[in-house]
Amino acid sequence: MAENSFQQLAETAQRINETRSTNAKIVCCAQYFQSLEEDDLNLAAQFLGEGAFSSISGKRTTVGSRTYSTCAAEFCEINYEKVFKPCKTALGSASEAIEKLMQNIEAARNKREPTQLTLQDIKSIYKDIYSVSSRADKQQILWNTWKQMTPVEIKFFIRIMTRGSLRIGFETKSVVSALAKAFSKNIEEVRYAHMITGSVGKTAVLCKNNNLDKATFKLFHPLSFMLASPIESRAVENLDGYVAEEKFDGMRAQAHISGQQVELYSRDLNDITHSFPEIVQFFIKKDLPDLVLDGEICVYKNDEILPFQLLQKRMGRKKPGNKIIEKYPVLFISYDLLYHVNQPIFEKELWERRNLLSDLSQLYELPITNQFEVEGNDHVDELFERALAHGNEGLMLKKIDSTYEYGQRKKSWLKVKKPGGTLDTVMMYAHAGSGKRGGYYSDFTLGIRVAEDERYEEEFIPIGKAYGGYTDEEMKRLNERIKDLTVEKYGPTLGLIPEIVIELEFDDIQKNKRTKANYSLRLPRFKAIRWDLSPKDADTLKDVEQLYQKKIDKERLKQEENPSFYIEQKDQETNTE
Amino acid sequence: MNITKAGYHGILLPNLNIGFDYNGTDTQHTFISHAHADHMPRNRTSSVYCTSNTLKLMQRRGYKGDATVLDFGESIETEKAKVTLYPAGHILGSAMVYVESDDGSVLYTGDYRTPPSPASEGFSIPEQVDHFITEATFGLPIYKWDSHENLGQEIRSFASNSLRDGYTPVFLAYNLGKAQEVMHLLAPLKQKVQVHGAGYKMCDVYEEAGIDLGNYETYDRNTCEGKILITTNSALNNGFASNVRKKRIAYCSGWATREAARNQLTVHKLIPLSDHLDFFELIRLCEELRLQKVHITHTPNADVVQHYLDKRHIESRFLDMEMEEDD
Repeated sequence: MAENSFQQLAETAQRINETRSTNAKIVCCAQYFQSLEEDDLNLAAQFLGEGAFSSISGKRTTVGSRTYSTCAAEFCEINYEKVFKPCKTALGSASEAIEKLMQNIEAARNKREPTQLTLQDIKSIYKDIYSVSSRADKQQILWNTWKQMTPVEIKFFIRIMTRGSLRIGFETKSVVSALAKAFSKNIEEVRYAHMITGSVGKTAVLCKNNNLDKATFKLFHPLSFMLASPIESRAVENLDGYVAEEKFDGMRAQAHISGQQVELYSRDLNDITHSFPEIVQFFIKKDLPDLVLDGEICVYKNDEILPFQLLQKRMGRKKPGNKIIEKYPVLFISYDLLYHVNQPIFEKELWERRNLLSDLSQLYELPITNQFEVEGNDHVDELFERALAHGNEGLMLKKIDSTYEYGQRKKSWLKVKKPGGTLDTVMMYAHAGSGKRGGYYSDFTLGIRVAEDERYEEEFIPIGKAYGGYTDEEMKRLNERIKDLTVEKYGPTLGLIPEIVIELEFDDIQKNKRTKANYSLRLPRFKAIRWDLSPKDADTLKDVEQLYQKKIDKERLKQEENPSFYIEQKDQETNTE
Repeated sequence: MNITKAGYHGILLPNLNIGFDYNGTDTQHTFISHAHADHMPRNRTSSVYCTSNTLKLMQRRGYKGDATVLDFGESIETEKAKVTLYPAGHILGSAMVYVESDDGSVLYTGDYRTPPSPASEGFSIPEQVDHFITEATFGLPIYKWDSHENLGQEIRSFASNSLRDGYTPVFLAYNLGKAQEVMHLLAPLKQKVQVHGAGYKMCDVYEEAGIDLGNYETYDRNTCEGKILITTNSALNNGFASNVRKKRIAYCSGWATREAARNQLTVHKLIPLSDHLDFFELIRLCEELRLQKVHITHTPNADVVQHYLDKRHIESRFLDMEMEEDD
């Protein structure tokens, strides 16, 4: 079989999946990388580590699960609702169901004649899919591609296309390790090249050609973001070296600016420029030097930072109309500077970067976060309360002498947050755990009451899935109780008699039309198992709707005194607008 | 023909006073299909019919009640029916129960497999069946089994390769049926096998029935390293061979079709070796038998099976559990 065939990549991915130890997985992948020529290596590393398109291209295919699933059902000549869906449920994976059905069902076998498509062929197929927009056109391409593939190729073709995890226990980090192994390079140098180039494929080629030292940061290639740890998770005893900023309830973004060219990238390094034209215009008008800014996009109106739920109306829109821009105007609030006077400055310490950012704010009237000295824990509490009053999420504590640790989540940045709220929910399903929690049911689907809700026929509907927040003892006790409450078994999932009440804590409520409740929770987790409550006591969908509305309507402290952000004034020392 | 379900397991033909895998004592004639716990009577005062191998296996697992032994093909006459056992191919002793009466004929399959497990008495089915009571444990088209020849090869390669690399191979297999089937498939290797005690005590029944289980002994923590081990997942989680650091674990079950099992059980290899028939065999069998009606049980996916039978104009129903009032 040709090394550059997609079949070879799919088999390698499958072998990695079937290998348990991380080291053995890396060896397996490294051997594969060694066998490839430059162009194919670039693609193979990208397919395994990033997806159908390189992260820096900002492109992604938009083929939904329903699009490829209904196409597969038709290809196999089975009923989508009656046959495909139960198969998907049993396996917990649409792509795995498709792999098995393509293998087992004669009608599908008869249509397929594998032709050993190359990696380059697959690249152009993904490009074709990107270039069409109707579901029918996408399905036509899928159909023609699958005709030429084996089942394992089809499975990984879908997983790469949808850019979820390949589910082989081998993430981007491991691909980078495999590159270091394959070409006998220092792992830190490979990591650095990856961070700078933002591309696994390019990193692979640099490794192969012994060019790692040529990896340089370039404008319009997004850099991985520096991330914050929850303060509870890090034992930081002394907050002396830290400064505080308010943590906005917005969208983290990186702005790359060079003259008339401005691009915005989201935290997952997607190009989101088109959704926010007024930010682009704002930066263009300033006639700035070449810059890379790290900051937050927020809806800002009448001196108030408005909630994330309103920003959602701007997200994911390719071309927002004037009306929506007027209704939900956004602002880019900078809090870090990564590139300045033609060179990356993320190796400089925070206070130096901040000084440069302040100067820029003064010269060009750029909004930047307000920074506060931290004077002990009581002061942190005070700052935190004020941040909440501003309608912000909480506080960020940043170590003043830290470099910009791109792509890492360490204790140089700490976040202080308060739970968004709690709900009393009912346990509806239990899902088998994996790894350390193997042998136990450790993930739970929780529901809210809709028994008196004329919009629903059910008694309970799911509101979220939680897999943490309980002790081992509690999990064991839950597992005992679950045994008696099980009425149905779907592979790894148990359907339960609604009986156990869980007090669920979460970060936020969002509208989500793809769920039965039309709402989803951010980061739901157990707060307490309420053995004292019965399902009749559970909160209802109406309660959820009220909580959501309350968040939207919340009174917000105006940005007058001690604002969350400001524009540095010329020749003035004060921190107000 | 009146066919009803009694509790979680157990099926009754009330008009004929016949029960299948039924736990109560109120039925005159109770037939036990095989010795797995969910089919075996738990009542000391039971009096049942079963094959001699099933009786021996049940007694090894603590059955204290009475039993009348029936050979395959041998019929008994009750007041209203004639009953004959057919080999089910599931585990040793497993039988399908064929009932002929004035109301027509019923075949209760219990658990069954075709093509049969190589560690069973084989599989055969009567030609004329009106009512087919079938399990559909693997009632989805994602389940299609490879041949025993290939699966056996896979099992043997896994064992030899692990031993060659200095690892102790461990097969996770249910201790009655699957364990002995794996041993039988491993026998040609002539390697030493150690079996968990709960499975070990079943083995002589298999050997008496002429099934080669190879070179085996009961599990011993102190000597198990470097031998082929057979146990269950729960035993493995409770210290089985925990002193052996270099192990490779294979999970042998129809459920090993699911990739998720790999991480749920923390195993190195998934071998979909099932003692139930696969979806395609089930549909093919229903087609071949020219039945009046298929009664489906033991499945979360009766709808899918029914959908396929509908398309073939075969009448079917899901034999759902009838809850008792205070259940």
